[in-house]
Amino acid sequence: MSDELPTRSSPSASISPWNSPKVIANHRARKRWDLVFKILSVACALAVLIPLGDLLYEFAYRGIQAISIVRLTHNLGATVPGLSNAIVGTGLLLALSSAIAIPLGVFGGVYMAEFAKGNRFSEGLRFAADVLAGVPSIVLGYVCYLVLVRYFNFGFSAMAAAIALAVIMFPYIFRTTEIAIRKVPENIKEGAIALGSTKTTMINRLVLRFAMPGILTGILLAVGISLSETAPLLFTANFANYNPSGLFHAPLAYLTGVIWTFYEVVSIPADQQLAYVATFLLIMIVVCLNVVARLGLRRFSKV
Amino acid sequence: MSYKSVLMKQGESGEKTDSTQAMYNHGEADVSEVLINLVDFSAFYGTLEVLKNINLPIAKKKITVFMGPSGCGKSTLVRALNRMNDEVPGFRITGKVLLDGEDIYAPTVDPVLLKTRVGMVFQKPNPFPISIYDNVAFGPRIHKLAKNRGELDSIVTESLQKAALWDEVKDRLGKSAWGLSGGQQQRLCIARALAVRPEVILMDEPASALDPGSTSKVEELMVDLKENYTVVLVTHNMQQAARVGTSVAFLYKGDLVEFGPASDVFENPKSPLTEKYIRGSL
Repeated sequence: MSDELPTRSSPSASISPWNSPKVIANHRARKRWDLVFKILSVACALAVLIPLGDLLYEFAYRGIQAISIVRLTHNLGATVPGLSNAIVGTGLLLALSSAIAIPLGVFGGVYMAEFAKGNRFSEGLRFAADVLAGVPSIVLGYVCYLVLVRYFNFGFSAMAAAIALAVIMFPYIFRTTEIAIRKVPENIKEGAIALGSTKTTMINRLVLRFAMPGILTGILLAVGISLSETAPLLFTANFANYNPSGLFHAPLAYLTGVIWTFYEVVSIPADQQLAYVATFLLIMIVVCLNVVARLGLRRFSKV
Repeated sequence: MSYKSVLMKQGESGEKTDSTQAMYNHGEADVSEVLINLVDFSAFYGTLEVLKNINLPIAKKKITVFMGPSGCGKSTLVRALNRMNDEVPGFRITGKVLLDGEDIYAPTVDPVLLKTRVGMVFQKPNPFPISIYDNVAFGPRIHKLAKNRGELDSIVTESLQKAALWDEVKDRLGKSAWGLSGGQQQRLCIARALAVRPEVILMDEPASALDPGSTSKVEELMVDLKENYTVVLVTHNMQQAARVGTSVAFLYKGDLVEFGPASDVFENPKSPLTEKYIRGSL
């Protein structure tokens, strides 16, 4: 490539870069590369967006075609099966796992960013969270099966499944909270301390408010991951055709389980239709959560 | 090169920059007016001694200026006066900082409450990303200084008036403080500090990030504040020190080289180091 600087030692040293042929030729070459890079990046973006759009269109199309009152209100065990108990199950798991993982993750992240003094304990905690985020969810599911379902005798249950999901969600919330809080400018924190804030007051009144967009992004990421998990739930929630009778010793259904169970069963078209509806619902839940969170954030961060 | 030779010459002639001696150069201040007294004060970051045996009286309702080149320890010194350095890892002090005769580093003193008595304004304006009103009300709210909304309103109004910002912001109190200009932001920070009703206001190069117009407004404000508050100003700007300072302390490499009334320090410096700094050749 011709990116060497024009030399001025030639007899034409008096020529300014403006009309030096070498400089002009170099500049033309760089402009060509500019264009090549633009085309490449647009092509890459399209390579990702087109299949994604196709996928969303396909599932939205099939989902809307398959959706009906019956499929939303009947149990999987009914003569004409529906998704109502899977919807209840997914909602229950989402609520329970969020209730466990969000407070732990946010408080843990606040501790790491504001109180941990860079000692062995906090370094170990951060390392453990990073490792946890990298462990395959099916392994975590199996561990939860052994510990919760068997050893603590929860049975296949919403509680065991929610804890498994919370373990998967925790590292994302924990780390994004820490990073979001570390990004709060030091001089803002100093300003609060100089007014006689305690650390807790400073965190509650300023730091969390400042870091909220980042924390929320982490929470949404974690919620999305927990919604789409299937493997750990097979180990902990099992599956059921009816609503669970309680939080312990009561297997339950969930939308991803419906997809996993019915999509391959081509011989029964009606069941496959349920998988389409479940897919559509999951996508809608994720989209709605994102929209609601963004709107809430906009109102929240408006002064 | 040049400052080293100055130091060497000093060493040869035996004119050691003795801070205790420098203290007695301070002729005018009546002892009864002293509000803060630094006694044999040294500060360390780990093993590095950044302030060496400082003895310095700070007069009540006057402007005391800490002046010196970057790295001389003037910021550390001013931050030590309201214990802003407590959280810095490895920071420790020896000696005493007496505020009205009471050592602020004594175990009985709560460093959080101390800050309501000794407020601070920083180099870079640091308004919070909330409304102008909420910025000023921040301190009164956390310390529960107002019984009701009316009282809080009057604290906010009064503080903004004292900071000479009221007329510019009275119609936009609910707007974000980040929409103000740099100079307005700095005066807002001053108003915010005044709202907790401190006795002392520490200002760490409050005008060094501002344009000349805003700088002179902040300087005028400092002179006004002197009526009711004890002001400690850190600056590396000599003109500013001369314009507003009652007394000036010149620090160099952690030593208090010279301390006295501003006019004496600028017109008749006792140390050759001070003279060099004032000439702009240090």
